[in-house]
Amino acid sequence: MKPASAAAREKLKAAMARLASGDRGALEEIYRATSAKLFGICLRILEDEKEAEDALQDVYINLWRRADRYDPGRASPIAWLATFARNRAVDRLRSGKLRQASVGEEEAAPVADASPLAEDLLIDAEREARVHQCIEKLEDEPRSAIRSAFFEGRTYAELAESSGTPLGTMKSRIRRALARLKTCLENGE
Amino acid sequence: MTDTPRPDDNTLAAEYALGLLEGEELLAARGREASEPGFAAAVAWWQDRLAPMLDEISPATPRAEVWRRIEEALDSAAPSAEIIDLRNRMRRWQVFGTVSAAAAAAIAVFAFTFMTVPTTPQVQSQAEAPLVASVPIADTDLRLAVTYLPDRSELLVSASGLTADGVHDHELWLVPQDDTPLLSLGVVAPGEERRVTLEPAVAAKMADGAPLLLTREPLGGKPEGVDAGPVVAEGQLKKI
Repeated sequence: MKPASAAAREKLKAAMARLASGDRGALEEIYRATSAKLFGICLRILEDEKEAEDALQDVYINLWRRADRYDPGRASPIAWLATFARNRAVDRLRSGKLRQASVGEEEAAPVADASPLAEDLLIDAEREARVHQCIEKLEDEPRSAIRSAFFEGRTYAELAESSGTPLGTMKSRIRRALARLKTCLENGE
Repeated sequence: MTDTPRPDDNTLAAEYALGLLEGEELLAARGREASEPGFAAAVAWWQDRLAPMLDEISPATPRAEVWRRIEEALDSAAPSAEIIDLRNRMRRWQVFGTVSAAAAAAIAVFAFTFMTVPTTPQVQSQAEAPLVASVPIADTDLRLAVTYLPDRSELLVSASGLTADGVHDHELWLVPQDDTPLLSLGVVAPGEERRVTLEPAVAAKMADGAPLLLTREPLGGKPEGVDAGPVVAEGQLKKI
């Protein structure tokens, strides 16, 4: 692992521990280090700057209120935070009537610039995680469906509709791919 | 619904982690994640292994205003004396009642609700006891947390675990104890904590022991002149 990334990760871990004891300064430190990454995730899923800002706000307020939810023994803090942000953004996508109301992708407001200052906080600094190879090994159709679910919050019903596939067929296809994905992921452990 | 067979738990955990589920299946999976450690672990297994894919997304700097809004939200959430008093009373209720873990979680949600309500510096010597109800949802471990503050005619409905399915809304009803028709307490906002002030006519019927019903309705709530939809959950108001 790159030294800069390892150091950033350790700092983040320490800040998460302080957060659990109610240290507001720790929240600010976590925000400074991670907001660009988490905002990128929210933007990708919600495709709307205003919604993504609201989602991001919601993520950090929830983090503050429920700091005890993070288990340092499990995932790295950045992986956990990224998953948390992704899930909150997907929830927001569902709960709003956002999808109907939002403008098309091509008309959407230009996405904020990637920040040159954002810390190089990668979940998988060396891209050694199995998921990269395992996803590539899937057939095209289920791979693209799984990626749309993960990155765009698409449900079974939406995937079936957009590809003109019967729901049952879509479910069986993805379930077979998930079984293959699981075997591949486990082989790396 | 389709005839596709039910998936095994691990596949279900993957489907849930990816966000493929919706409607009642999603609700059920969420309930299991909250109550079954084995299922929660399977979900976490998938989440941790999928997370590295999020590195593909380029970072983007949010506007400085977002952090200011977060700070403001945290500052305004500092609990006031009145709320602390209320939370203490809830804690007593928690001690005296035989409460399950799920009900305890619901109480935690109440406590949160109160912490987030911006308070007005009203001096109230002795607040009237609030009424609360915990409404379990269908086959899940989710609960709708309902709190009514009589001295303010204020109703708080927390549906934090619920997700909209885009096809239905759920409407909450009060069953008055004098056999008069059901009174609507409004449409539940999935994933949110809603606070409304009740009309005096409705407020007058909010009493200890009064049943509450949750019905499934078309989006927007029960249309005029149509029977209410199927009852999907029920609960009862209780004085703390």
